[in-house]
Amino acid sequence: MPIEIKNIFYTYDKGSPNQKEALKDINLLFEDHCYTALIGKTGSGKSTLIQHLNGLLLPDSGSIDICGQVIDMTLVYKEKKGQQVVDEKAMKKKHKKKLKEVKALRKRVGLVFQFPEYQLFETTVLEDVCYGPKNFGSTAEESEKKAKEALSLVGIPERYYSRSPFELSGGEKRRVAIAGILAMNPDVLVLDEPTVGLDCRGEESLLALLRKIYDSGTSIILSTHNMDVVLKHCKKAVVLENGEIVSISTPLELFASGKYLADSAIEPPKVFSFAQELIKNGLPVDLSRVKDCDSLADEIIRVRGGKTA
Amino acid sequence: MTMTLGKFNNYDTVIHRIDPRIKLISLIVLLVSVFLSYGTPYMNLVVYGGIFVLLFVLTLVAHTSFFLLFRSLKALWIMILFLLVLNIFLPSSATEESMVLFSVGSIDVHLSTIINVCYILLRLILVLMMTNIFTSTTKPMDMTYSLEWLFYPLSLVRFPVHKLAMTISLALRFIPYLFDKTNQIMKAQASRGVDYRQGKFKDKVKAIVSTIIPLFLSSFQVSGELADAMEARGYDPDARRTRYRAYFWSLRDTIAALVVLLFLAGMIVLAVLRPDMFAAMGLVLPK
Repeated sequence: MPIEIKNIFYTYDKGSPNQKEALKDINLLFEDHCYTALIGKTGSGKSTLIQHLNGLLLPDSGSIDICGQVIDMTLVYKEKKGQQVVDEKAMKKKHKKKLKEVKALRKRVGLVFQFPEYQLFETTVLEDVCYGPKNFGSTAEESEKKAKEALSLVGIPERYYSRSPFELSGGEKRRVAIAGILAMNPDVLVLDEPTVGLDCRGEESLLALLRKIYDSGTSIILSTHNMDVVLKHCKKAVVLENGEIVSISTPLELFASGKYLADSAIEPPKVFSFAQELIKNGLPVDLSRVKDCDSLADEIIRVRGGKTA
Repeated sequence: MTMTLGKFNNYDTVIHRIDPRIKLISLIVLLVSVFLSYGTPYMNLVVYGGIFVLLFVLTLVAHTSFFLLFRSLKALWIMILFLLVLNIFLPSSATEESMVLFSVGSIDVHLSTIINVCYILLRLILVLMMTNIFTSTTKPMDMTYSLEWLFYPLSLVRFPVHKLAMTISLALRFIPYLFDKTNQIMKAQASRGVDYRQGKFKDKVKAIVSTIIPLFLSSFQVSGELADAMEARGYDPDARRTRYRAYFWSLRDTIAALVVLLFLAGMIVLAVLRPDMFAAMGLVLPK
């Protein structure tokens, strides 16, 4: 299901001395079945943008079309002393009305926050994962079925189901928390920095899991600082800076141009830089085939005319 | 959402710049003057009105939101109603000679009862207003400093003033953390379909549980981490500590101190002499 964002603006603490413009005129389209990365420095507006995707934050102006459900906050104007001014009252009314409608969105777009393990609260793992579907009106049996499916998808074995979620390790907690979102069968899965705080193996298995979810037909949108993830998994990379979009491209184009990376304090992946050095030194590898260490090795063998494994 | 009553706001007004110790003392003076008795009920109302006007002006000067204050009062309606009912049924709240306004069955509703409830409400509003001004113009660190300073004489009798001040400052430091964390957890649970706005009572209870449990867990964790971090940096509660921030007494502070003293003196004079303005004007008001 596509998500189309048109001219949205968002300001935190409007009217106070700490007011901060977090999003400025964002236009963005997430196509059906996409795997998109949002890249940017801390404070560039990634998290703010993500929270707009399932109606946790409503834009100050602009509109978002989420899988056919439109959050239309385009400004309403009125005549005042011969000038066009924003009709604050009408905007407030609109805002209030939309707040009532957003619950349906949250079922379509599952949002996994940074450190999702903090959302666990039930007495057992299974009950916690059931919580989401139950909130969206599934019966107890249905929710349990969905929860078991989600748990087996994230690789939590059955003997864990009746344990307290607080006894699990960090990585396991995160899996359970993600299962809690997956159990709602969202069309789009949005993750805010999913790999932060995980060890190498935890990160790898989480990404493999995301791949599996993507392959089953769900769109994935994630924000990350980890460029290896972007290169290896994502189909599209969106770079944000100070609340504005500075580039939308494939990861390959982004890293090859190297243009927006320095500004956003992002380093291209080591594998990619290494491959570029190879080209400079006379080994014509195909950059589009380089995704990680293994694929680089295969590519070098291919270019030199050997047989790949 | 992010605007809260009493949260420090970073403006630079006269009130922000006054020494925190003076602000704390004036807060105490104002609190005392609100709870003094000034003779007849009507004189009390007049004095409270005066204090209200004063606080209103201070609120405007301090750039704090008046609107937020009244929004937070909205939640107190039930309490006011409860107080009213309680006062009507408690015979002691009405004086013998008080006028009976009306009767419900065998229960007389006295004028003095209504006035009593008004007092409580007014005092509450005034106290809220003044603490709001204090907390929104004083940085938490300054607030702790002024408390420590005020309690300093107690250290003569071995009262752990410093520990108390550190505890208070840590507690204050946790308020914004808890606030942010609550917001974060509420958002995470909202993504799982929790509806904080509407729904049945049972669902709402569940919604609150789903917020509070993670909040408790994470605050225990963070307080443990904080304690470790303090110990790792050699924090010793019994050691003598120096202060990073220096406080300078300026002319402004002297003037503020004098004004506070004058105000206190005036209030005491009023409370002791109990002049009846209305009687002096020849008005006889119902009791």
